[in-house]
Amino acid sequence: MNKISLKFSIMITTVALAAMLAGVWLAEIYRQHDSGAMLLPDRVMTLFPDPKPLTAFALTDDKNRVFDLASLKGKWSFLFFGFTHCPDVCPTTLAVLARARDNIARNKVGAENIQFVFISVDPNRDTASKLRQYVEYFDESFVGVTGDDAQIGNLAGQLGATYQVAITPGLENYPVYHTTAVFLVDPRARSHAVFTPPHDAEAISKRFKVVRELEAGNAT
Amino acid sequence: MRWRDPVFVCLISALSVVPAASEEAGVSVRDAWIRETPPGMTMMAGYMELRNNTSRPQVLVAASSSGFESVMMHRTVVRNGLAGMEHLSQIELAPNASLIFAPGGNHLMLMNPKLALRAGDAVVVKLEFRGGPVLPVTFAVRK
Repeated sequence: MNKISLKFSIMITTVALAAMLAGVWLAEIYRQHDSGAMLLPDRVMTLFPDPKPLTAFALTDDKNRVFDLASLKGKWSFLFFGFTHCPDVCPTTLAVLARARDNIARNKVGAENIQFVFISVDPNRDTASKLRQYVEYFDESFVGVTGDDAQIGNLAGQLGATYQVAITPGLENYPVYHTTAVFLVDPRARSHAVFTPPHDAEAISKRFKVVRELEAGNAT
Repeated sequence: MRWRDPVFVCLISALSVVPAASEEAGVSVRDAWIRETPPGMTMMAGYMELRNNTSRPQVLVAASSSGFESVMMHRTVVRNGLAGMEHLSQIELAPNASLIFAPGGNHLMLMNPKLALRAGDAVVVKLEFRGGPVLPVTFAVRK
């Protein structure tokens, strides 16, 4: 009986020690990365453990140039689906992303190989020139992109975004529904992570810093 | 008649019109602002914090402004990660409580501004409550 209880207490002590060590380790990782994003369930970002490579799609950017899979390669891309007649969610999100970009640009790796892409799901109203005017208000570097429904649907589907445009004859301001998440595509054009709302510039730039460091570590 | 005295009327207006309307509604408004939009955009959103200072519910039934073609009350709703807007025909303010219009939630949808509005401008929006009281609120346009 005594032996059993001794074994039991050793076991408990071992478990407790292991838990403490794990705690210390977590705290260290947390400190190193300035964020708990990698290890703890995170409300800001979901990092995909096995990033899925995107496949071909064909859209057009706000200067009427092709925007396709190749446009995503060699840089990190933040993608957000919306429409310019959106008074609340889209300007709020784009303003947050502009601040996140400023934060990223200020750290030492910078924002050189990063693009922010606003994908309009409302090509009916959002022409290239309107998109250009819209996105550059938030940040000169932002890119507006749109295309036909099949191609927007193609990319949206690959990322896990959804949208619905309820064009109604005679109704100027028809309803448009769209995913509010921001998608992060890595330089190998893989769906790498998703940021879930409510979006916050500080949180996004901090998580991105961690993701980029981890990815740089993996590459070497 | 005394009422026709313009100075007197002005004085009365200056001293009482805005506060009287607000007292009548029993509602005060703080931090009323409209988000500046990119040039050429015709849809703007207005935000504010309403406070019902009375012990009865107050119901906001309409909003209007001479600065816009139309003003509607909307709420952004997110279902299964998909955001859309819901039109609100009225919004009830609970007794002695605040109600917030903020990005991602309740907002005034302000359509087709008559003049281009830039950060630093101000525009008056009239809030109409059930029973008739109208509260003019000055919204600051900002980024």
